[in-house]
Amino acid sequence: MARILTIEDDPVTAREIVSELQAYGNEVECVGDGRAGLDHALRGGYDAITLDRMLPGMDGLAVVTELRRAGVDTPVLMISALSDVDARVRGLRAGGDDYLTKPFAPDEMAARVEVLLRRRRAGAPDTLLRVGDLELDLIARRARRGEVTLELLPLEFRLLEFLMRNSDQVLTRTMIFESVWGYHFDPGTNVIDVHIARLRRKVDAGDGPTLIHTVRGCGYKIQTAE
Amino acid sequence: MNTTEPTRLPEPAPLETGWRPSAVRLIVIYGAFFLAWSIVLIGTISWQTTQYLDGVVGQILEQRVHYLATVDREHLPAMMAATNQLDLRGVMYFGLFDANSAYLSGNIDRVPEGLAPDGAIRQLPKGLQTTSGQSEARALGVALRLDSGDLLVLARYTSVADRIGAMTRNALGWALSLLLIPGLIGGYLLSRGPLKRVRAIETAIQPVMRGDLGVRLPLSGRRDELDMLAAIVNRMLDEVERLLGEVKGVTDAIAHDMRTPLTRLRAQLYRVQQHSDANDPRTALVERCIVDVDSLLDRFRALLRISELEDLRRHAGFAEVDLGETLQRVHELYAPVAEEKGIALALVAEPLPHVQGDAPLLFEAISNLVDNAIKFTPARGKVELRASAQSSGTRIEIVDSGPGVPAGEREAVLRRFYRSRTTSGDGDGDGAGYGLGLSVVAAIAKLHGYCLEIGDNDGGGARMTLYCWQCASAGARSA
Repeated sequence: MARILTIEDDPVTAREIVSELQAYGNEVECVGDGRAGLDHALRGGYDAITLDRMLPGMDGLAVVTELRRAGVDTPVLMISALSDVDARVRGLRAGGDDYLTKPFAPDEMAARVEVLLRRRRAGAPDTLLRVGDLELDLIARRARRGEVTLELLPLEFRLLEFLMRNSDQVLTRTMIFESVWGYHFDPGTNVIDVHIARLRRKVDAGDGPTLIHTVRGCGYKIQTAE
Repeated sequence: MNTTEPTRLPEPAPLETGWRPSAVRLIVIYGAFFLAWSIVLIGTISWQTTQYLDGVVGQILEQRVHYLATVDREHLPAMMAATNQLDLRGVMYFGLFDANSAYLSGNIDRVPEGLAPDGAIRQLPKGLQTTSGQSEARALGVALRLDSGDLLVLARYTSVADRIGAMTRNALGWALSLLLIPGLIGGYLLSRGPLKRVRAIETAIQPVMRGDLGVRLPLSGRRDELDMLAAIVNRMLDEVERLLGEVKGVTDAIAHDMRTPLTRLRAQLYRVQQHSDANDPRTALVERCIVDVDSLLDRFRALLRISELEDLRRHAGFAEVDLGETLQRVHELYAPVAEEKGIALALVAEPLPHVQGDAPLLFEAISNLVDNAIKFTPARGKVELRASAQSSGTRIEIVDSGPGVPAGEREAVLRRFYRSRTTSGDGDGDGAGYGLGLSVVAAIAKLHGYCLEIGDNDGGGARMTLYCWQCASAGARSA
């Protein structure tokens, strides 16, 4: 169970965030003001923070700057009504934090928090990822399903790596596009679906159980059988 | 497919040349009036002087001739000579001729032509033949038949009057040239100042024409008519900015205000979905609702994104961009999508120079164009992503074999929310139609100062061209 701090001034949005994160089994504390939020965050003990960008008392970006200056490296998911064309948002992402524009789907928000939490828990970087009989060797850049070596293109390798690093975790199309391609816009049509379908044809070609699952209305998930 | 002129994003046309400041026109008109009036003045003065002096000369001649007529015939030559002694300047001439006009005495050799012996003062058009030679100078003369039958001729040069006339003309000519030449030079110099300021105003207003309404015209502080005009334009810009801000504010506020209830709606539907039985037919319905709400939210997000892109005036995010690499990544992203649809997506790129820009946004713009091309091209068609290095910069073309964009709709497709009629029939919830994609491309192009052009492909289909150089201000409209 992870401890999460939510700094959000709109009570309705705050309730949505809290209940969704709690539904994922987290312990959530909620603060409605920037300065109070910063005080809480500085006291520490949180695994992740969700932070509104426009807050009374103190601007969300300033809160992050203050936190980092004080040496607190709790990952932050900034939630904002402003779109992400701003250069400061890029800086935020480059620092390992995430940015989500309002309106957001609660499940997507929760999924992003999960990714932040997992990245924090990961500790030493993995060299070998394993889901069921699927193995991904990050040093040798080799993929293997059982005894069969998979011929993956560099892009497919990166896509599979992202899925496997976050196995058992729902990943939305936007999250996949942002993490694997590094861009933050809607690529349109069914671009991600097509790329996943291609990967799936290689990974789930054999007789073994299906590993890459579609989560309806949401995204994808890699996991061994339910 | 008809080949028509491609359409570009509307851009400000530059000021054509050949403008003249009002000062120059005023000076030329004023100078012409002044010149005409001076000529009339000089003419009148010199004519009147000549008339007066001719009258004086005539009177002298008349007096002399009547005096000499009363002198005895035998004393006449001596008297003439004596009078001549008094004429120090040598302007008076005398002549005595017999009845047959043969020379008797005096310093006139021959009776001047056109001189009747009636004692009236006459102009001598052919000049005067004197003992010292022929002279063409203007002269007045008089001839009188004496009782003895001899002819007495008196003549006098009018050189004094002529010289005075010439002096008047010269003096006025000098005065005129001294007035006109510095006047014209001064006028030219005077007109250069305002012209320079007008050019400065033109330069200052360029960003406004490109959509940056925060810029104002410079005021010189001289409080003259140009400042007055600039101040009026500035007031107008304040008003335009306020009005546009209000319109945009309303759009943003609607998008913004709609998002909260939509977000809640999405959350509630999600909760219903989570708690309903997978076998319940209503679950599928709820899922479809969620998909619809999601696409609605996407549109709002895109709308606000365009709004923010249009607001973005700083180029802080600009850096060296390798367009060749960007194109390769776009190709990598969309090649499988095209293949899935049975479309060949080809990348034909020359080595390209780097440009200054925002790499993620340029990637987004090109992606949008490619996405659209794939969307509108039927199966077994082809889409080509071409890039070439031109002398002014890189030209990126996305050419497809789809139905193309009708000439009349090209400007409209760049507007927000426009959907081509040719595609509105498919009713696909997948966001068919240009939707906001092209508006996003247009906003990104504008941010960079690039031009987006919609045209025809030679073999049918659409051709989207992105000119990656500062062409928005150069105004190269025709392609």
